[in-house]
Amino acid sequence: MILIHCPYCDEKRPEIEFANAGQAHVARPLDPSSQSDEEWEAYLFIRANPRGRHHERWRHVHGCGRFFNAVRDTVTDKFETTYKAGEPRR
Amino acid sequence: MSDALFRNEPVSSTPYVADGVSISLAAPLKRYSLRARTADALETVLNAKVPQKIGATEGGIACLGPDEWLLRTPADTAMPTGAGLPVAITDISERSICLVLEGPRAAELLMTGCPLDLDNFAVGRATRTIYETVEIIIIREGEDRFHVEVWRSFAAWLWTAFTAAASH
Amino acid sequence: MSGYRLENGGRIDRSRPVEFSFDGHSYQGFAGDTLASALLANGISLFGRSFKYHRPRGIMAAGSEEPNALISVDRGAGRFTPNLRATGVEIHAGLNAFSQNRWPSLKRDFGAINDRLGMFFPAGFYNKTFMWPRSFWEKLYEPAIRKMAGLGDAPTQEDPDIYASTYAHCDLLIVGAGPAGIDAALEAMGSNKRIILIDEQDELGGGALADPALWPWLERSRKALIDAPNVTILTRTTAFGYYHDNFIGAVQRLTDHMPDNSDSPREKLWRVRAGEVVLAQGAIERPLVFDGNDTPGVMLSSAAKVFANRYGVAVGTLVALMTAHDSGWHDVFALAKAGVGIKAIIDVRTEVSSALLDEANRLGINVHLNHSVTGVNGRHRVTSMQICNNADYVGARIDCDTLLMAGGWTPSVHLWSHSKGSLAWRDDIGAYVPDQPNENVRCVGACSGGWDFGSGVIVDVLPTPKDQSRIKAFVDFQNDVTAKDIKLAVREGFRSIEHIKRYTTNGMATDQGKTSNLNGLQIASTALAKPVTDIGLTSFRPPYTPQTFGAFAGHAKGALFQPTRTTNIDGWAAENGAVFELVAQWRRARYFPRAGEDMHAAVNRECVAVRSSVGIFDASTLGKIEVVGPDAAEFLNRMYTNPWKALEPGRCRYGLLLKEDGFITDDGVSARLAPDRFHLTTTTGGAARVLNMMEDYLQTEWPDLDVWLTSTTEQYAVIALQGPNARKLLEPLVEGIDLSADAFPHMAIREGTICGIPTRLFRVSFTGELGFEINVPTAYGRALWEHLMAEGAKFDITPYGTEAMHVLRAEKGFIIVGQDTDGTITPFDAGLDWAVGKKKPDFVGKRSMARPDIVAPGRKQLVGLLTDDPNVVLEEGAQIVADPRQPIPMTMIGHVTSSYWSETLGRSIAFALVAGGHEKMGGTLHIPMPGKTHEAKVSGMVFYDAEGARLHV
Repeated sequence: MILIHCPYCDEKRPEIEFANAGQAHVARPLDPSSQSDEEWEAYLFIRANPRGRHHERWRHVHGCGRFFNAVRDTVTDKFETTYKAGEPRR
Repeated sequence: MSDALFRNEPVSSTPYVADGVSISLAAPLKRYSLRARTADALETVLNAKVPQKIGATEGGIACLGPDEWLLRTPADTAMPTGAGLPVAITDISERSICLVLEGPRAAELLMTGCPLDLDNFAVGRATRTIYETVEIIIIREGEDRFHVEVWRSFAAWLWTAFTAAASH
Repeated sequence: MSGYRLENGGRIDRSRPVEFSFDGHSYQGFAGDTLASALLANGISLFGRSFKYHRPRGIMAAGSEEPNALISVDRGAGRFTPNLRATGVEIHAGLNAFSQNRWPSLKRDFGAINDRLGMFFPAGFYNKTFMWPRSFWEKLYEPAIRKMAGLGDAPTQEDPDIYASTYAHCDLLIVGAGPAGIDAALEAMGSNKRIILIDEQDELGGGALADPALWPWLERSRKALIDAPNVTILTRTTAFGYYHDNFIGAVQRLTDHMPDNSDSPREKLWRVRAGEVVLAQGAIERPLVFDGNDTPGVMLSSAAKVFANRYGVAVGTLVALMTAHDSGWHDVFALAKAGVGIKAIIDVRTEVSSALLDEANRLGINVHLNHSVTGVNGRHRVTSMQICNNADYVGARIDCDTLLMAGGWTPSVHLWSHSKGSLAWRDDIGAYVPDQPNENVRCVGACSGGWDFGSGVIVDVLPTPKDQSRIKAFVDFQNDVTAKDIKLAVREGFRSIEHIKRYTTNGMATDQGKTSNLNGLQIASTALAKPVTDIGLTSFRPPYTPQTFGAFAGHAKGALFQPTRTTNIDGWAAENGAVFELVAQWRRARYFPRAGEDMHAAVNRECVAVRSSVGIFDASTLGKIEVVGPDAAEFLNRMYTNPWKALEPGRCRYGLLLKEDGFITDDGVSARLAPDRFHLTTTTGGAARVLNMMEDYLQTEWPDLDVWLTSTTEQYAVIALQGPNARKLLEPLVEGIDLSADAFPHMAIREGTICGIPTRLFRVSFTGELGFEINVPTAYGRALWEHLMAEGAKFDITPYGTEAMHVLRAEKGFIIVGQDTDGTITPFDAGLDWAVGKKKPDFVGKRSMARPDIVAPGRKQLVGLLTDDPNVVLEEGAQIVADPRQPIPMTMIGHVTSSYWSETLGRSIAFALVAGGHEKMGGTLHIPMPGKTHEAKVSGMVFYDAEGARLHV
C-alpha cells in the first residue's frame, strides 16, 4: 500500500483513503455543442497510456474529499509530485 | 420531540469493556456539515471561531477539508440556515453515531484497522479516514480517548469489529 | 548418546519431555524441539515422498528453506494445516502430525512407480503428453495427475480459528534477529526511534542459536532489548512481503505451538509501515548437485550443526561431508566437538587451507581433496556412498549413514527483491547480493554477502564419470527438478531463466527455490556457455514462506466478512419474518411472507394491498444528497437532462442523470426546499457513485459555482406510504402540512412534523398510487414505522418489500436504472426523451446524444412485452429472437430485463431491450427458454392506469 501526498492536507496518507480518477488535464470543452464528432470522441474516449510519467487525477475520497492531480511513474508506481486541481500541468 | 416516539440506535447503549479499552455509544449530538470557500466566510455567518487548518478542531468545529467543517454540539442550538449566502449549512445530526474509545489501548484498538500512525496524531486533531473498508471520522479527544464518527448503517459492523479486536 | 540424542548440549529443556504423534506413532521429544529435531532424535530419517517421482525424502535443512519434510498437522475438526515444514513445527503435547504425498503409507508408496518410470517424465512432460485429445484433459488427465502429484491435502472444513490483524508504525523495522539483526537493534535502541524486531523462529538468535560460544552474548542482548521500552520484539513472526513505501506484511503465529486450541487468535497479521527497514535475513546454504543427493540422510552441513548444537541431536552416527566451501569443514569440526562421529571429508577443491587440514588431521578425519561423490546407496537412509577422484575418476566406496553437503551460501535477498532493490552478481561467492535500494532499506550481515563462513568454489554439478542423462541429481527437491531437466530445457531452445523456470518448474514450489535457484542458474549458465548475468534472474515474490488464508482474511469472515448496511427499520423487518436480499451493501426486506405463503403468494398479496388500501415500505436506502448554495439550481441544471431553474420551492422533479457519453447512469425524484437548497434522491446502489460524479464536475469543471453537496442518505429514515388510503392514515398524524390534494399535489414536498418529529414529507409515487414518502431523522424511523403500523391497522396496512415494489413500478412502466438499463442506454432508448430538456444549451451527456452511434438506427430500445400465453412469466435475462426457425446460433436481438406476474392485471408483464424496439410495436417476438420457445407481443411499457387517474386524487 503506497503513501500518497495529498496537496490539500499537505501530508502523505495511505493509499486506501484515495481513489484514482483517470487521466488528468482532460478539460471538458466549454461549448460541447460546437465540437465535431472527432473532437468529442477524443475528449470522451482517447486517453494516454504512457510507460513512465503519467498525469492522473486522484481523489482523497476518505479524507478531505478533494480531487487533485499527480504525476506517477507507471513503471515504478512512484509518485513524482501531486498538486491541486486547477494548477498548471507539471 | 414527541414522547411517543423513541430513538432506535444501531448499537448497544451498554459499553463494551475490555482489557485496557472501553467502547461506548456517545449521547446523541447535533451535527452540521459546514461548507464555504473560506473559514472566514463561515465565521461571519456563525459568529464563532472556525479553524483554518485541515485536521484542526476548535469549539466543536473540526476542519475536514479545504471547504468542509464538521460542527458537533450536544445542545440543541439554533443554527442559521445561511440562506442566500455563499455557504452551505446542512443538518447531519442523524447521519452518524459516535463511538467513544477510551483507555490506554484506545489508539492500539483503532490501529487494528485504521492505517494512520496514531502515535503522531495529536490530541485535538480530527480527520476523515477509514477502518478496514468503512469510512470514519476520528477525533482525538485525549491521549487515551478517541471519538469515532461512523455512518449509522455501518455502525453495527464497526461495533462488532471493534469489540472483536478489543477482545484479542 | 541415547538413540540420536546427544548426551549434552542444545537449547532444549531435557527436564520437560513432550509426547507427540507422527503418522499415528507416538514419540517423545523435549520442550524446545521442532518436529524435525525430535524425529531425527528418534532415528527417523524418512519424512515424506517427493512431488513428482514419489522418491523417499528426509530432512535437508534446519530452517524455513527445508524443501523435503513437508508435513500436515491436525489440530482437530477444521484445524488441518498441510505443507508445513517439519523444521518449523514446534512440538507440544498432543501434536498430531502426518507425512504427505504417499499412499498407502510412507514406507510403501504406490506412487513410487513414477520414480522407476522417471525417464518418461522429462521436463515439460505434462505439457507435451497430455495435449491431445483435448476433451481428455478435464475428464482423465487432470484428475489423474492431481491425484498422483501435488503436495498435502487441502482442508475441507470451515476453519474455526480466529485471526487478528493490525496496522503498526515504526521508525526502524529489523527483519531477522540473528547476530546482525540483534546488533542493528542494540545500536538503535538508545535512540528515540520506535523499533520493531521480527524473527520467524521461536526465540531470538538466528545462527547464534547453533553457536554455544555466542549464547552468553545472546542472553545479554535479549535482556537488553526486552527491557528497552522503544523495542517491540515479534518472534514466531514471518515478514512475508515487502511492499511500496516500506510497507511490510508479517504474520505472527500465536497459538500453534501450544498444546490446546484456545479462543484467542491463532495468528496475527501485522501491516507495518516503517521509516527505515534493516534486512538481516541471513544466508541459505546451497546443496551440491550429484546423483542421489536427495536420499534421506543427505543434508546441508549447516543443518547438521544446528541439530547438534541447538537441539542436541546427532543427525547420524557415521557422518561424511561433501564440500566445496570452508564452512562445511567448520561444521563437521563442530559436530565432532559435540560428539558426532565424522567419517570423512570429501572436498571438490584441489587445495584448502592448511589450518583446515591440520584440524581434520587432529580430529582423525580422513580427507579426500579433488574428489566428488558420484553416487549414494540406500533408499530410505544412506548406507554408503561412492566417491571418485575428479582427475582420473578412480573411485572408492565409503560407508556412512549421513552425508552432509556444503555448496556455499546464497544471501537471502527475497524481501530486498520484493522492495525492487537491484542485485549485483559476485563471482567470488557465486551469488547475487543487494546493490541499489529502491526504498529506505539496507541489508546487514550474511544477506548482504558479508559473512565469516570462509571461502569456497561454485560447482554447478559435481564431476562424475556416469552418463549425465542417466543420473538423478536434484536441483529443486520440492518440485523434483534435476540437472538433466534444466539441460534438456536448454537443448530444446529455452534461453532465458524465466522460460527455463516455467518449463522445468525449477524454483516454482512452495519454497520458491530457496535452495535451488542459484544451482539452477549455474547449470543453465554452463549449458548455454554464457555468464550467469546474461541469462537473467527470476523474480522473488511474496510470500517469503507460505501463509494461511486465515491470516490474510483476518477478521473478515462471518459477520465481519463485509459490512452489511441496515436501516433503522431493519430490526422490525427481521422480527416480522421478512425475507431479505442484498442491494449493493444494503440488506433490504424482499417480502414479508405470512404463514404458508411462498414468495409468489406474499408478493401478490402485498401488491393487491397497495392498490386497494395502503402499503408501507422502507425506502431509507435511497441515496440522498443535499445541494445547497446560491448556484444550486444552476449546478443541477448542468448535471441533469431536464430543466431545474424554474422549479418552484416545494415542488419535486424526476431527474435523469447521464454520463458524458450520453448513457443513463442514475435517476431519482428531487425536491426544491428553498431557492438555494435541494433534496436530491438517487438509486440505492448509485448513491456514492452519483455524489462522486457530481463532486468531480463541481470541483474540477465548474469550481466557480457556489454550491456544496452533502450526503444525507443516512440522515433520514424514509417510509413510503402508498395506496388509496395513504392520506387518510397520514392526515391525523401530521402537523403543519395541509395534505389536501389542492394544497399538496403530486410531486410536491412539505416540511412539518409527524407525531411530533420534524419531517420532510414528499408526495411522490413509485407505485402509481396516491403516495407519500416520509423522511424523518433516522433514529426515529423504527418508532414511526411501528406507530404507522398500529394506526394503519384499521386500513389493513400491509408492509411490502422490494419484490412487490418492483412489480408495482413495472405495472406503471417505471424503469430501474441498472436493471432495465446497462450502461449503454440513452434516454431515447429508454423512452425517457420527455425528461430531456431539448432547449437547454448544455448538460452532462447532451453532446453525446448527437454522436453517430447514438443516432444510428437499430439501437436496442426498451419496450414492454406481453406474452401470448398470459400465464407465462419470462425469465429475466432470456434472449429474444425475431425468427425461431433460424439454425443455432440464432441472431439474438435483445433480452428480457424485467419480468413479473401481475396479480392486479391477472397476467405476466415484462420489459425488454430489443434492437429497433420502438418500430416493432405490436409485432411478435420469440423468447427461447428451457423446454419451449414463447411468443410475446411488443407493447408500450405502461400496463396499468396509463392516464394516471389514481395518482392525482
